[in-house]
Amino acid sequence: MDDRVTETTAGSPAPSVPVPAASKPSGWSGLLRFVGPLLWCVGLLLPVTLSPAWITVGGIFAIYAIVALSQDIVLGRAGMYDMGHAVYFGVGAYISAILSLTFGWPILWTIPVAVVVSAALGAVLSAPIVKLRGDYLLVVTIGFNAIFVLAMKNNLFGLTGGPDGIFGVSGPSVFGHVFGSQSDLFYLNWVVLALVLWIMRNLDRSALGRTFRYLKYDELAATTLGVNAHRYKVAAFALAAGIAGLAGTLFAMQLSAVSPGSFQFTDSVVLFAIVLVGGQASVPGVLLGTAMMFVVPQIFTDLAQYRYLVFGIAMIVVMVLRPQGIWPARRRGA
Amino acid sequence: MDFILQQFINGLTVGGIYALIALGYTMVYGVLKLINFAHGDLCILGAYIGLTSLTSGAFGGLSTPVLLALSFIIAMIVVAVAGTLLDQLAYKPLRRAHRLSPVVSALGASMLIENGIMLIWGPNVRVFPKDLLPNITWHIGGAYLSFVQLMIMIGAFVLMVALYLFVHHTRLGTAIRAAAIDQDAARLMGINVNRVIALVFIIGPVLGAVGGLFIGLYYRQAYFTMGWSYGLSAFIAAIIGGIGNIPGAMLGGLLLGLFNAFAAGYVSSSWQDAITFALLIAILLVRPSGLLGERVAEKV
Repeated sequence: MDDRVTETTAGSPAPSVPVPAASKPSGWSGLLRFVGPLLWCVGLLLPVTLSPAWITVGGIFAIYAIVALSQDIVLGRAGMYDMGHAVYFGVGAYISAILSLTFGWPILWTIPVAVVVSAALGAVLSAPIVKLRGDYLLVVTIGFNAIFVLAMKNNLFGLTGGPDGIFGVSGPSVFGHVFGSQSDLFYLNWVVLALVLWIMRNLDRSALGRTFRYLKYDELAATTLGVNAHRYKVAAFALAAGIAGLAGTLFAMQLSAVSPGSFQFTDSVVLFAIVLVGGQASVPGVLLGTAMMFVVPQIFTDLAQYRYLVFGIAMIVVMVLRPQGIWPARRRGA
Repeated sequence: MDFILQQFINGLTVGGIYALIALGYTMVYGVLKLINFAHGDLCILGAYIGLTSLTSGAFGGLSTPVLLALSFIIAMIVVAVAGTLLDQLAYKPLRRAHRLSPVVSALGASMLIENGIMLIWGPNVRVFPKDLLPNITWHIGGAYLSFVQLMIMIGAFVLMVALYLFVHHTRLGTAIRAAAIDQDAARLMGINVNRVIALVFIIGPVLGAVGGLFIGLYYRQAYFTMGWSYGLSAFIAAIIGGIGNIPGAMLGGLLLGLFNAFAAGYVSSSWQDAITFALLIAILLVRPSGLLGERVAEKV
């Protein structure tokens, strides 16, 4: 793996990371398999019990949880340092907003386009760069993010609305019922979150997920056994970008607006941090990380100006105390 | 021709600043293989400290050159202390951790410093007073060279030569280069690698503080998010030159400054960052280890 090559050339001994074996549910994770869906069902009750402001927070949590899980596919599972993930999130949001407002499409019809275009973009952008060593990949993806934000700000093709973005995206209407209220949108986001969680669970058990893990821990060995590393790395980007694009559509509906400010490099940094603070390749970890970044600040709104100061300190403290993240993935079979 | 000469002067000025900041990135990367994302913010901290000591009035009786020198020294000391604290608190406990853990720690430190600056000095742009520096401008073949530009070019040049001599002609400098090439071998040769790392976290911030204060004096302003934009440019400069390579950072900084100046002059300044990143991506795809970086053989 690239990491080790660098570290060996640097002289410091590589930490020996045992490659986790295939998943074998037992004990804690078996319990989790039961607790997870239960928590999701409890979540369905949120709109009944909480105030409108908190319903919105719940909806936004679901959206960012989806994006963070997709970031985890590239970063935590396939082991590629992607620090421009907000691009795919933004592309999905912009496509839905443009198609529904400029071209008058029903918003639901824009979802497949948003997903496919985001995924395609993920594949096209990553194809030439996945061969780059870890840190270089990180810098190039930062570059993608900067270029994307500038393109949106400079009103690309006269469609993106410039620095202010696009306003007035409305929720979908299904059989005459318009998803307009915050609790409607919450249910929608919550259901899509369930779908993405289901994808993540299947990914963990599938050959695709195992290949990603294999590439992350020992690319050389994987290649020797006939894995086409390039193709699978691009596939990881495409899959993650597609899911992020889906979340983008939800985001456009939730805020009824899209603007470059929501998809900046800082947002990519936050997504990156969520995965590492929560725990790589760990669904509960990523969800916990998302909650820390997007739900906890709502409790302390009086201290809003200290928000990023506290985030900064928290990121350092968590890394120093728990370098593997708060809730790391279990070493399966270990 | 005048236009080309003018862009050349502007580019060299900005390039000198980039080079000073890029050195901090490249030296830390050299010994720790860590992208110190907080470095840009440390540099801007230097700009704010310098501004405060220049304008606070605490040193009211001093003449301009003395006041200026004093402000630079104060900024260098404060930022060096901040850099050392950063290393000791946020990076040192993570020396043996997964490679991404210190990266997140660095991102956190960056947020912490940036927002700390905002809370101390406020969220608005702080303007450097007009009369801090002598308002002299020379005409050279139709182009203009201002006092501050000359000061930045000379300052950056002197510091870079000094660093080059230090790194290549002293025992301590040799230790830094050795630790960057192979830490274990350096340890076996009796080099105290921990001390090398501590030294790097002093030299880098000191040069960065000068770079940051240069930025403030040149553009006559400071704002708290400045660290990201200038830090990122300087970091790109370090990569273009070959990250970990000290002359590479100097070359990369100057080249990027010139490139930016001509791109802004001939194309459009609203796409400047995009052009910079496009250049970076192009260079990385053609020559992944930068201009002066050595090709790292993939060990099998």
